[in-house]
Amino acid sequence: MKSKIWNILVLTVLALSVVSFLVLFEENKVEPKLANVPFAFWTGFLITLVIVILTFLASRNFPHQESDKK
Amino acid sequence: MTGWLIFFFALFLASLGYASFRSYNRNRSSDEFMLAGSNIGTILGFLTFSAALFSAFTFMGMPDFFRTHGVGAWIFLGLSDALMVFFLIWFGFKLRKRASEVGYKGVAGFIQSCFRNKWAGYLIFVSSFLFLIPYVAIQIRGISIFLNAAFPDLIPYWGWSAILVVIMLIYSEIGGLKAIMYSDAIQGVILLVVIWIIGVTCLNMAGGLDSALEKVAESNAGLLSLPGPKGLFSSPFLIASAIAIVMIPVSQPQFTTRLVVMKNLKSVHKMAYAVGIFAILVILPTAFIGLYGAVKYPEASTADFLSAALLFDQANPVAALAVVGLFAACLSTTNAQIFALGTELRSLLSGSDKRNMRVTQVAILVFSLIVLVFSTYMSDELVLLARVSFAGTSMIAPVVLGAVLFKNPPKSLLIVSAIALTYFVLSLLELVPAGFAGLPTDAAMYCILIPVTAILMVAHHFTQKTKNEA
Repeated sequence: MKSKIWNILVLTVLALSVVSFLVLFEENKVEPKLANVPFAFWTGFLITLVIVILTFLASRNFPHQESDKK
Repeated sequence: MTGWLIFFFALFLASLGYASFRSYNRNRSSDEFMLAGSNIGTILGFLTFSAALFSAFTFMGMPDFFRTHGVGAWIFLGLSDALMVFFLIWFGFKLRKRASEVGYKGVAGFIQSCFRNKWAGYLIFVSSFLFLIPYVAIQIRGISIFLNAAFPDLIPYWGWSAILVVIMLIYSEIGGLKAIMYSDAIQGVILLVVIWIIGVTCLNMAGGLDSALEKVAESNAGLLSLPGPKGLFSSPFLIASAIAIVMIPVSQPQFTTRLVVMKNLKSVHKMAYAVGIFAILVILPTAFIGLYGAVKYPEASTADFLSAALLFDQANPVAALAVVGLFAACLSTTNAQIFALGTELRSLLSGSDKRNMRVTQVAILVFSLIVLVFSTYMSDELVLLARVSFAGTSMIAPVVLGAVLFKNPPKSLLIVSAIALTYFVLSLLELVPAGFAGLPTDAAMYCILIPVTAILMVAHHFTQKTKNEA
């Protein structure tokens, strides 16, 4: 199960990155604004927040464990 | 302000002294000195990683970046850092697994063992030396510009750099990596507190977020969208920056070593998302400071804007705290990097433990002096120079990734990385064309490096599989 969730998380982050850099972050786009904050900033901020949350979920669902010997 | 400055500096230096004292052990081995006993917990790990990552270039460079290039600065650093911490979850596991198999004294030695090739270790060391020295010099340059602008008649410009290097040398030579990590924790907390106080103050002085954004829309609307008024944040630039920043834990040894010396994988994973949260919290107020600068100091030089926004426009205790905070931020990054160079050198040495430790301590002193001299020749473009350092070291990422992915990594990765590194250095020296097809050098090189590395790794994977089956 953990392995499946981990794979989904990785795919989500990859998809989010590709969509963000290639589609979402258009040049000279200011609208739509969110609370007067320009598009590039609030979308950039939101995606950053989502990826950090996905990192938290990934840390909880990482399918591999470390052996005890160091 | 002088009274407050003395008070906060005394408090800061006392805490550094205490950190060195707590970490000192007369009979320590070189592993204890250089790798902090490899038993670092989540909180210390996350603070030391964050403090090493966020430095003078965050404190000073990012506000200036927001002021001159606009809101795309968030994508450049904030989003890239988030991608980097996600990558840490997987890379931390792979790296630690491989390090437990072959041993770890530093990235160069580790790579040498994985590839069973001494040149592999030298390649890592050369890359670290070439790009960490300018990066450390940037930090020192940054703090010196700021302090010199703030206190023009107190001491000469190089005096500030010298004070910083001397403090760093004293406590790192006494306490080793553990002292550096304790001091990083102190400095990380100071950085976060100070940057928020200044950020909120600047936002209030700019008339609040709404009003500031409206003023910027009227005066320089280009700041509110990509690629910014000077056209810096183009897609190739942002993508190349994201790749370089994601590769930081792979190719910058101070971060790689911090992943290995953590107590266990769970601590690494907790540290990863904690660094992500820290990144958001640290970068956000730099946007407020930059916004304030865009409203009030749109035409000022970097030094004038920073000394005004961080010092002269602040209440005395806040300004004094800003000086100490900036000093702390700079110190934590420079000591992490110079110490990492020492670690890398030690990992390539053979001989007695005592001798190696002595050689390493002398090397750290020599590296510091080189940095000190180099810092006087640096340009003031803090963030862009830092980015060159990230991009430069990322050229050896294929070698490190190959080492953690394969039991017998393909030697071809060494050749690919060596060529990429050489080309990148030559392009900086303007001896070969910088970039092609309208792409900057690093973006152009990633276009070649990433597919070539992927092909070599996939081919190697199947070759190994066939060999094993046979």
